[in-house]
Amino acid sequence: MSELVFDGVSVRYGTRRHALTAVDGARLTVPGGQVVGLVGESGSGKSTLARAAVGLAPLSAGRVLVNGTDTRRSRGRRRPVQMIFQDPYSSLNPRMTVAASVAEAFPRERGGSRAARHAEVARLLGQVGLDADLAALLPGQLSGGQRQRVAVARALAARPQVVIADEITSALDVSVQGAVLNLVRDVQRELRLTMLFISHDLAVVRYVSDHIAVMYLGRIVEVGPTEEVLADPRHPYTRELLAAVHGHTAGPRKDAETVTDTEPADPHHPPSGCRFHPRCPEGPAVRAEREVCRTDDPVSDAASRPRRTACHFATATATATALPERGLRDRVRENGNP
Amino acid sequence: MSPRRSPRSSPRKPHAATPRPRWSAVARTPLGACAGLLLLAVIALAVLAPVLWSGRASVVDTGALQQGPSGAHLLGTDNLGRDILYRVLVATRLSVSLAVAATLLGVSLGLVLGAAPAVLPRRAGRLVTSAVNVTVAFPGLLLALFFAVIFGVGAKGAVLAIGLATAPAFARLTHTLSASVAGRDHVAAARTLGVGRLRLLTRHILPNIAEPLAVNATIGAGASLLAFAGLSFLGLGVQAPDYDWGRLLGEGLDRIDLTPAAALAPCAAVVVTGLAFNLFGEAAAAALGIRTLRHRTTSPRPAPQAPSKGSDRKRESRPVLLVEDLQVALPGPSGWSTPVRRVSFTLWPGEAVGVVGESGAGKSLTAMAVSRLVELPAHVTAHRLEFDGTSLLGPGPRELRALLGTSMAMVFQDPMSSFNPVMSVGRQLAEVAEHHRRLSRRSAFEQAVDQLRAVRVPAPERRARQYPHEFSGGMRQRAMIGMGLMGDPKVIIADEPTTALDVTVQRQVLRLLDTVRTERATAVLLISHDITAVARTCDRVLVMYAGRIVEDLPAAGLLTEARHPYTRALLSAVPDLDTDRNRPLAVIPGRPPQPHRLPPGCAFAPRCPRSDDLCRRKDPRPVTYATGQRVACWHPVEGEPAPKAPPGQGAAEHGGPGPRLERAANGDVEESTGGPTV
Ligand SMILES: Nc1ncnc2c1ncn2[C@@H]1O[C@H](COP(=O)(O)OP(=O)(O)O)[C@@H](O)[C@H]1O
Ligand code: SF4
Ligand code: SF4
Ligand SMILES: [Mg+2]
Repeated sequence: MSELVFDGVSVRYGTRRHALTAVDGARLTVPGGQVVGLVGESGSGKSTLARAAVGLAPLSAGRVLVNGTDTRRSRGRRRPVQMIFQDPYSSLNPRMTVAASVAEAFPRERGGSRAARHAEVARLLGQVGLDADLAALLPGQLSGGQRQRVAVARALAARPQVVIADEITSALDVSVQGAVLNLVRDVQRELRLTMLFISHDLAVVRYVSDHIAVMYLGRIVEVGPTEEVLADPRHPYTRELLAAVHGHTAGPRKDAETVTDTEPADPHHPPSGCRFHPRCPEGPAVRAEREVCRTDDPVSDAASRPRRTACHFATATATATALPERGLRDRVRENGNP
Repeated sequence: MSPRRSPRSSPRKPHAATPRPRWSAVARTPLGACAGLLLLAVIALAVLAPVLWSGRASVVDTGALQQGPSGAHLLGTDNLGRDILYRVLVATRLSVSLAVAATLLGVSLGLVLGAAPAVLPRRAGRLVTSAVNVTVAFPGLLLALFFAVIFGVGAKGAVLAIGLATAPAFARLTHTLSASVAGRDHVAAARTLGVGRLRLLTRHILPNIAEPLAVNATIGAGASLLAFAGLSFLGLGVQAPDYDWGRLLGEGLDRIDLTPAAALAPCAAVVVTGLAFNLFGEAAAAALGIRTLRHRTTSPRPAPQAPSKGSDRKRESRPVLLVEDLQVALPGPSGWSTPVRRVSFTLWPGEAVGVVGESGAGKSLTAMAVSRLVELPAHVTAHRLEFDGTSLLGPGPRELRALLGTSMAMVFQDPMSSFNPVMSVGRQLAEVAEHHRRLSRRSAFEQAVDQLRAVRVPAPERRARQYPHEFSGGMRQRAMIGMGLMGDPKVIIADEPTTALDVTVQRQVLRLLDTVRTERATAVLLISHDITAVARTCDRVLVMYAGRIVEDLPAAGLLTEARHPYTRALLSAVPDLDTDRNRPLAVIPGRPPQPHRLPPGCAFAPRCPRSDDLCRRKDPRPVTYATGQRVACWHPVEGEPAPKAPPGQGAAEHGGPGPRLERAANGDVEESTGGPTV
């Protein structure tokens, strides 16, 4: 079991004047054999962080370590981190058969005979719940769910120590989503894989993950065990996310609602101080006395707060707005049965 | 109304149902077949003509110099008395093969230059790209002339000249095509596997751009033929005693007053052959869905229309949309199929109705059919299809557009494809006001800015001047809604408007739709595969399966009142924050049926935990309950809340119709879906 560590990772795109820091000094540990769920809105840098781990995005600072070894050292032959992509319609080469796609992922040093490779492909397809007959088909002949299973098989074929799953169910129907999630969970438990599971759906992340990390505008603003984060979210943004699932707004005031409707900040020009402050329902836009949010960056002393929360009021606000602990289920049930 | 899009471009493409079009499909289009035959004829001629007639073409007949057409010489003779018809026919081989050789040279060179940036180190790659970009800017013929002078006169020089002149365009094409393929996830996946650059190029990139390249090369061959004729005509190409069409044309032109045929024949040969190449290429491009170098197939945005004069505003009294027995039929390889079958529903002013179901259930097609955006060969029929009291079945496309004009707004999943990428967002919104309210340019723009503000686009004055790509996904979607609202629509049809967005932004867009609905009494038809989002936003939910509405119920009762096993299955497949993490998620076994292979009975029977013999034999008809709920199922679930366990574990005990069941007089679809429900 290998541990995946993001050690102050930054990824910058573009040149000096148009530079954009997609990921800014991210620190995150995925313990061996466990699943860390990464949530946050699009553009917050989730995928960039994932791509940095597999070498698809250039690091401008920091390191990505697998079992203490810098992943940039293990370039070449064998790649310890593998990734499963969001869109199963574009993540498989339409001109390569299922077998060819999976076999391409075999570690290079293990040559093996044709028959052995063939058997290995069949074994992997079986592992992801696909018929071995599918090996000869092209992706165009498969359904979305089947394609995503092939993508999982391909990732496993590389015998990775760590797997990153980036929004792997968001392009799928709910009926298929469940099956793919079950598969990923089973495979993860069976092979005791270390996994970073990215999704914008908190309910999905909760189902799969042991820990949850919340990302906002390139930074990780809260990390903790799943149950704890969901039961007692410390960062106002985490509370917003939860509220979105519950169908409520966290802030009790009307103006708080307007505040959260503000567009996400422009990553080219991140806000000063706390990056969430223009949208924060508990920040200076609503509470005038919280000027500190505009001036001081809460990330710098995040480590000293519980769950590394990047909010000056991480402890103070936790009780200020009690989260309505009701799901859609409860709400609708109430409406339905008065 | 907002831009039209063909139903085919629906972003959530259904799988397997549509195998990739192949080259044989080209021959099946009439244009493709004609052009193909023509091309074959030209090739046959190129092969055979010199064998058969080169003798006759070179016979010098001093007794018949420069004659006009006659029985002996159908097209007359040249200044040495040689037969012009034979000479034109024999010249086919040289003309065509030189053109093809030049094209091959151009394409190969272009391929190397265009693919180089993918393999070379970054710096070198950029150098190649900018060099290509510079040369592409020169007119091709000018380049050809320039090279022709450098390489000297003669066939070889001309081939080099034309080949080199076409290379930059192909290099650029290769480059853009491979850049777009290189951006796909399968290339990223290969890179994370450690696949080398060369293999990346040969296995993952080139095979995926081969088709468009071949098509463009065919079209390019037509252009080369023309260019070659030009060079030979100018005396820079083929030299005597060889002759191609260009040289024949040059000779013939001297005597065009005496014997026009001598010039017209090679001219016609060039035109026909060039056309054959071009048409075949274009037909192939059309059949294979490829963009060619010459016209980018961006469909023009239809100008927004003024609203119909006759539409008065007695909103409250009648439904905005009345759909009864809507059917959409599509031709397929195995005959006609009906992906939308007898769909009936009513949408009242200010009401929000959600449509849910798996992809391929016919949700989008229903929306397209209702807004009359389904194009031929699809066939739409309905018992009644009324918009605000006016039938949409009678009028032709023009009247329809005037009728629906701005009173029906469409919002799609990917607003990027609905906006004009080269026009500022504000301008696009203003255009609607210009046409619709006959405002001046200036005040229309002001209106647009106001509208952007109303849909909560921050800094609307500045944003209005920006282009669609400068907007974030959520903002673009709001601008799209804003554009729909410029016309003051009676209904907004939104097809998966938030699928590409994430939760927080998704919630904002849904909230916006909700605000619009309450403030303006605009009805909303929200299509989504996200049943939770629909439950939260809508008054009523229509559940679609295999082209049918299988259940129609109030959103508030979704979790407790849902009676159709499919609705129940959908609900329990969605994890929520209470889902037991130690048990596998509920799944719906199997897949929805393909529209052309529907089972005889209930379409859900193969996947349904409650199915029995009756279900497999007879298709259940929709039954309306006293509450207005409509369910099409022989054994609807009664009462108990949706099980969180996999379908079948716990829900299967109860069966049979409940006490409140009221079968309609004709046992068929009912119009009594009731007024606005809350
Ligand atoms: N233009 C078209 N040509 C052929 N088949 C089509 C076309 N549009 C839709 N279909 C078919 O109609 C069915 C319903 O599709 P669609 O309306 O897109 O479903 P949904 O929106 O629920 O995902 C699918 O089986 C699809 O393959
Ligand atoms: S630091 Fe201030 S603005 Fe930032 S999240 Fe905390 S309360 Fe909100
Ligand atoms: S009719 Fe039968 S098969 Fe169809 S949904 Fe109802 S119980 Fe299931
Ligand atoms: Mg659709």
